[in-house]
Amino acid sequence: MSGNPANVGAHGPIPAAAGIGLRFPHHGQVLQQRPPVAWFEVHAENYLGGGAARRVLERVRADYPLSLHGVGLSLGSAGELDAQHLARIAELVRSTEPGLVSEHLSWSVVGGEYLADLLPLPMTEEALDVVCRHVEQTQAVLRRRILIENPSSYLQFSHSTIPEWEFITAIAQRSGCGILCDVNNIFVSASNHGWDAHTYLDALPTGAVAEIHLAGHALRELADGSVLRIDDHGSPVAAQVWSLYARALRRFGPMPTLIEWDNDIPAFDRLLAEAAQAGALLRGEAAASHACAA
Amino acid sequence: MPALLELQQSLRAQLLGDAAPEAASAARLAIYRNTCITTLSNVLRLSFPAVQRLVGAEFFAGAAREFIRRYPPASPCLNDYGANLPAFLATFAPASTLAYLPDVARLEWAVSRALHADDAPPLELARLASLPQAAVSQLRFAVHPAVSVLRLQFPADAIWRAVLEQDAAAMAAIDLAAGPIHLLIERDADAVQVRRLNAARWQFAARLCAGEPLYTMVEHAPDVDLAAWLAEHLACGRITGFQLHAPGA
Repeated sequence: MSGNPANVGAHGPIPAAAGIGLRFPHHGQVLQQRPPVAWFEVHAENYLGGGAARRVLERVRADYPLSLHGVGLSLGSAGELDAQHLARIAELVRSTEPGLVSEHLSWSVVGGEYLADLLPLPMTEEALDVVCRHVEQTQAVLRRRILIENPSSYLQFSHSTIPEWEFITAIAQRSGCGILCDVNNIFVSASNHGWDAHTYLDALPTGAVAEIHLAGHALRELADGSVLRIDDHGSPVAAQVWSLYARALRRFGPMPTLIEWDNDIPAFDRLLAEAAQAGALLRGEAAASHACAA
Repeated sequence: MPALLELQQSLRAQLLGDAAPEAASAARLAIYRNTCITTLSNVLRLSFPAVQRLVGAEFFAGAAREFIRRYPPASPCLNDYGANLPAFLATFAPASTLAYLPDVARLEWAVSRALHADDAPPLELARLASLPQAAVSQLRFAVHPAVSVLRLQFPADAIWRAVLEQDAAAMAAIDLAAGPIHLLIERDADAVQVRRLNAARWQFAARLCAGEPLYTMVEHAPDVDLAAWLAEHLACGRITGFQLHAPGA
C-alpha cells in the first residue's frame, strides 16, 4: 500500500501516490479503520451543508491529505457562473484547506437549471473564451489555482474547430490553471470519436498536468451497431486504460492518481486493490526516473 | 454555427423538454438524458424513501420523471433538490387516492433539510444575560438552520415511521381522521428528530422560526409561561442568535 496516514501531514499537498475517491457507503469504515490510503478526494457538492457529512469530512482531513473535486460549477455555461454556488464552494475550500481543487471541462447549467450531468462543449473559440473567463473567475474567488479535468463524451459537434487536447491546453495556458488528466476519459472519448489516445496524451503540456484520474467504463452497443464506451465508474480500470496510464506516467512523471468508483460501489478493499495497482506503477515510474537521474 | 447559449438551450430542450432529439445524435443524447434523469431520480428516492414505499418503486419512478421535467433543479447542490415535490404530489392526479401522501412528502422534505442544513453554534446565554430588562421583549431570535415546524392534516409522522420500519401493525393502527398534528423537526448529534408538540407550544415555535419579536408572542399567548418555553429552545441549541426589534420599528 502506498502511504501511511501517520506519515502524511494532513491538509498538506497531495502526494504523487494513489488516492481513493471517498463515497458515502465507505464513510464509517474509513473513520473506524483508518485504512492506509495516501489521500482522499471527495465531490465538493456533497459536503456543502453541515451535520454528519461535514463532520466526516473534517475527520478525514485531519488524518489524510484531501482533494476537493467539484461537479457543479458548470464552467462551460454561456452566461455567468452561479455566484452563490461558487461562494459555497469557496467557503468549503476555506474551511477544509484541500491540497487540490478541481472541476470539469463541461457544462451542466442553462437558464438557471442544473441538468445533473457533465455535458459536452463545442470546441469553438467562443466556448474557449467562456471557459477561460469562468476558470479565471473561479481562481480569483477561491484565491488559488484549480485543475480542469478533460471530459468523457458521447457526441461531438460538427461546428467544433479545435481538437479537445488543444482546447484544454489553451485553457491552462491562458488562465494559468492546471490539468487533471483523466486517463479513462481520454480512452473513452478517443474510442467514441475515433481519436488517437496517444496523440491526445502526448499533446498535453507536461508542466500543467498535476493529477490523474482512473476509473472503469462500460461498453454499450447502439441500434446502428456502433459501440460506445460509457464512463460510468462502475467497474475496475480496464487493461487498455492501465497501459495508457503507464504511458501518462512516463510522460508526466509520478502524479497524484485517483481511483474513482461511483456506480455499483464495491467493498472498500476492492478500491484498495485498484489503488495498489496504481501505486505499483507509480513506484515503478519513480524508480525508473530516479535511475535516469543517477 | 449556433452560439453557445443557443446550443445549450437546444440541448436542454432535448434532454428534459419536449423537443425531439436530432435523429443523427438521438442514441448518443439518450445516454446523457438517462444519466440526468437517473441521477435526479436517485436524489429524490434518497430524500423521499417513505413516499416511494407508499406508492411503489415503479409509480415513484414515473412520478419522479414527470417532476424532473416540470421542476428541474435550480442548484447544483442536489441536497437542495425536491422542495417542490410535496406540492407536485398534491396536484399529481395519479396519486390523488392517497390523500396523506403530500403530508408524508412535506415531512420527508423537512427531515432532509434538517439532515443537510448548515451547522450553527448555539447562542451563548451570557449574551442574553447582559441585555437590559426593557430590551427582552424586543428580542427576535435566529433559529438553527436545521430546525423547522410543520402543521399537517394527516398523522404523517406515524405513517412515516411505520412505513420505514415496515411495521404493518403500527400502520393499521393509524387513525387518518385524528385531526392535525404539530411537528418540530431538528437535528441532534447526527440524527434528525421529529417531535410532536401541542398546538400552543407549536404556535410559539412557529413564531420563533418566523423571526417574530417576543412582544408579539406575548400578545398572542398572554397566559402562558413563555420564558420556560424559550428556555427549552435555548437549552436544545435551537436558537443561534438574536436581534432587537422595537415595537412599531
